[in-house]
Amino acid sequence: MEEQRPDPQQLLHSIRAQETRAQQGRLKIFFGYAAGVGKTYAMLQAAHQAQSAGRDVVVGYVERHIRPETLALLDGLEQLPCKEIEYKGVSLREFDIDAALRRRPQLILVDELAHSNAAGSRHAKRYQDVEELLRAGIDVYTTVNVQHLESLNDLVESITHIAVSERIPDHIFDSADQVELVDIEPVDLISRLRAGKVYQRGQAQRALSNFFTEENLIALREIALRRTADRLNRAAQKVGQEAAARAGEHILLCLSSSPSNAGVIRTAARMAEAFHSSFTALFVETPETRELKGDHLKRLRDNLRLAEQMGAQIASVYGDDPAVQIAEFARASGITKIVLGRTNHRPGLFFKGKTLVDRLTDYAGDLEIYIIPDTQPLYKKKLRLLRGEDFRFSWRDLLKTMIVTVLATLIGWAFFALGLREANIIIVYILGVLVTTIWTQGHLYGALASLLSVIAFNYFFTAPHFSLEATAPDYPVTFLIMLAASVISSTLATRVKKQAKQASQKAYYTELLMNCNQKLQQGRDEQEILQLASQQLSILLDRPILFALAKKEKLHFHVMPAAREQEILQGLTSEEYGVADWVVKNNKRAGATTTTLSNAHNLYLAVRGTQGVMGVVAIPFKYYPDLEVFEKNLMISIVNECGLVLERRRLQQEKQSIELETQQERLRSNLLRAISHDLRTPLTSISGNAGILMEKSIALNEEKKQELYSSIYDDSMWLVNLTENLLSITRIENGTMHLQMDAQLLADVFQEALAHVDRQAKEHQITTELPDDLLMARMDVRLIVQVIINIVNNAIKYTPVGSHIVLRAERWGSMVEVSISDDGSGILNEEKTHLFDMFYTASQGNSDNRRGLGLGLSLCRSIVVAHGGTISVTDNHPHGSVFTFTLPLEEVEVKNV
Amino acid sequence: MYKPKILVVEDDPAISNLIRTTLDTQNYQYHTAKNGSSAILDAVSYKPDVIILDLGLPDMDGVDIIKKVRGWSNLPIIVVSARSEDQDKVDALDAGADDYLTKPFSVDEFLARLRVALRRSHTEETAGEEGSVYNNGELKIDYAAGCAYIRDTEIHLTPIEYKLLCLLAKNTGKVLTHNYILREIWGSALESDIPSLRVFMATLRKKIETNPSSPRYIQTHVGIGYRMIRQ
Repeated sequence: MEEQRPDPQQLLHSIRAQETRAQQGRLKIFFGYAAGVGKTYAMLQAAHQAQSAGRDVVVGYVERHIRPETLALLDGLEQLPCKEIEYKGVSLREFDIDAALRRRPQLILVDELAHSNAAGSRHAKRYQDVEELLRAGIDVYTTVNVQHLESLNDLVESITHIAVSERIPDHIFDSADQVELVDIEPVDLISRLRAGKVYQRGQAQRALSNFFTEENLIALREIALRRTADRLNRAAQKVGQEAAARAGEHILLCLSSSPSNAGVIRTAARMAEAFHSSFTALFVETPETRELKGDHLKRLRDNLRLAEQMGAQIASVYGDDPAVQIAEFARASGITKIVLGRTNHRPGLFFKGKTLVDRLTDYAGDLEIYIIPDTQPLYKKKLRLLRGEDFRFSWRDLLKTMIVTVLATLIGWAFFALGLREANIIIVYILGVLVTTIWTQGHLYGALASLLSVIAFNYFFTAPHFSLEATAPDYPVTFLIMLAASVISSTLATRVKKQAKQASQKAYYTELLMNCNQKLQQGRDEQEILQLASQQLSILLDRPILFALAKKEKLHFHVMPAAREQEILQGLTSEEYGVADWVVKNNKRAGATTTTLSNAHNLYLAVRGTQGVMGVVAIPFKYYPDLEVFEKNLMISIVNECGLVLERRRLQQEKQSIELETQQERLRSNLLRAISHDLRTPLTSISGNAGILMEKSIALNEEKKQELYSSIYDDSMWLVNLTENLLSITRIENGTMHLQMDAQLLADVFQEALAHVDRQAKEHQITTELPDDLLMARMDVRLIVQVIINIVNNAIKYTPVGSHIVLRAERWGSMVEVSISDDGSGILNEEKTHLFDMFYTASQGNSDNRRGLGLGLSLCRSIVVAHGGTISVTDNHPHGSVFTFTLPLEEVEVKNV
Repeated sequence: MYKPKILVVEDDPAISNLIRTTLDTQNYQYHTAKNGSSAILDAVSYKPDVIILDLGLPDMDGVDIIKKVRGWSNLPIIVVSARSEDQDKVDALDAGADDYLTKPFSVDEFLARLRVALRRSHTEETAGEEGSVYNNGELKIDYAAGCAYIRDTEIHLTPIEYKLLCLLAKNTGKVLTHNYILREIWGSALESDIPSLRVFMATLRKKIETNPSSPRYIQTHVGIGYRMIRQ
């Protein structure tokens, strides 16, 4: 039962996919098995139908060499002008994507999906244009032939013997909303062709004999029909598929720079589809692959891209022995099947007695290994020693070789003079060869040193001395063994050196990745997280990295490291910004080394969260070398990591601010309740008294009137004070950030506060005591004045007329202690504990004329705490109470100019 | 007797009424304007001695009005504001206002500020010339000799204290913001210098005031600045 219950995660996923689909345009593909089946015709007919159904239809691009009947169908449809692109003196007509995006029709027709755009267009391929249109929410009708599908490309080629270079990735075809197969009997197609309806007469003849043979057409038709049926099948199984992939097969494909590798990739992709399995392409980076150049490197890149397009996850591992690396990776990633090409891995010269396949079977016997036969001519691996690129000539290294050999000879001479045996001298020479190998680059010098050593040994130490002749019969054997020993030891030393280098590099990369996550977590805000990620990238790729957070406004780039920021940002043209904007809008990479806007100087990567683009990272390529596969993978991991951390941070912040808001909301509603209750009393008094004065003025004597006036005045002053407190509360509530901290003279503060205390103060004796009249503290002066006013007003309110109130401030360590004491009746101990609570009002005395929200002291505490101080109340001697609070001391260095 | 003319710029009828009633009790002449544009016109045509200006007007920002008026006249402007943030007042003062009042204000306070402003406009009219000797109650400054006296006894001031005193004296009745004073005395306006300024003010005050805790000459406006009061 349980298995049938849909996984909520998966449901959510598919709902999300549907949601994005709703905003996305819909793609309809008119699919045919050969030219001339009538795809364009069918597409135009469909367009007419759509238009008569009231949709806004525009023809974006249609091939010009179409038949008159088809041309006639263009009547009545709006056509977008094409873009003319000048390329090597020839003017090419291309689909104008910018015009299409500006025009924004509901439906656009773009013929020939597999077309490659002229250099200088935004995208390298037309299907990328179409993808962008879909992302912009425009529906697209397009046409494609079966031979242009990536996975079927080689299959079709094997039938027709014609290579097709224009191809589209299968996922475009599979994810299309609708595929309409435009079908016609092969016989009819041939007769159409004969009638000159597809090609011109001459061309038609050639086409008939080469391509349009009946057998070919039948085979192609079968492939097209089957592919369409497959697609339907797959759509039906879509939900089940992912689960199956997880539980079932996982195919691993090994990438190489071999030309036959493309075939291996396609086969593996077809297998992955057939098994509904996940699909990973692995590239094993070895010291040899690091030295790949020219064609090999380009082929490797092409193969990588192809694998990516076919839906493979790309992974790369680093190591000396591909077999071990593949086996380990397969074990770690739960691979079930491995697909290999046969040719690339011939047995090596010295060390690999077995082929890669044999070795792989040794290491990972439980895996199924598929070997794809090779139809290409043999791809020969050249002898490494002779490969030009391996040998880098340098005078320095040559000199080093000479010096070491001469030194070895001198030591040997000393041994010889001491009468030591020849064997010792040979050992010294072999040591010399080892030293040379370690000291120089490339093992040619090791070999050279071996040769030189043998010659020197022969010249100096064998009889006859100072001649290359050797009289003793056993010398040739000695020379041979000596040469062999030194060559082998130099080769071994080279390997050890390389492995050490690899190990340190690997350790370095691993550490970089491990640190990365930790470091990113430490970023205080989004900007800093992105900056830290860029710093890591900059270390990894050894070039400055530009980065910007994607917000609503224009992208604002920063550079890491910041040393040359100004200069680099000035070099950032508006075109570059355009690429960056495109990346943010389309959530895809673009710029240098990609197929989109590849003229840009930098590569722009979207830093993605699950909900969209969080930022952009730009990697300069103009003055810097291309990236190695391993570096590229690491770069992507760092960028992805950064996207996740950024997103987590953003969610966290949202959650926090919601929590804070709820808390504040609660406080506010409590406050509002208290206020509306307590405001009524003074307002009743004010309006009532004013009403009496207005209506009954004549009936009142002057003394009574004065009483009413002062009552109105007192109550309004009470309201004024309340307003001040409420204002302070709103400032405190927003957190301590809003404090305007400033160094203030306590003398000024006391003076300001006393100017605002109640009028009744005239009946109390208020004095200030300041032992140091230049005493200063850091504070938000408005709030601290409010604190003093509240405490002093309280003292006035709760002590009898004529009491003494003393304000005092003095230094207390690194703080300033402010105390306000009175000689009233004091506060009961149980009340002291609640005194600073919100809405607490002292119960003593007559409650009728002592009203208050109980905000005053709670506010005082909030303010003092926000200043990093404490507030407390103690008893005064002999009676009364003392309120004490502390503030950070400020010591001012007086600027005496 | 000369009756001072006061221009009241206030859009709230209740406050406007309160101010007018208060002015009536003192026998001042006044004219009221309800918005910024008519205020500027009236400032030209009515030729007031003092302007009482509400900062929150419906049509324009009070600070802009101050700047416009300051373009051709030095007449005292008292700003009335309901905003509790100091920065608004500081902006208005820096734009050239003389004094400020925060709502709610008491009638006594209002009249006191008005008197100070009127005295300033009066002394400026009568004195006119920048006399070489400044007299204010018991305080006397002899600019030519560079000396200050209290009750005819010379007081010993450091150069900075003397400069501060002169600056305040020359702007008697006007609230000078911290930044304005810093610029005039030190040539810079760094926030970090304000504490130094406070210390200098405190020492200066100790030398000229008989009771520094309730000063007669130099008034402190917490968070804003200082002002010399005409005795």
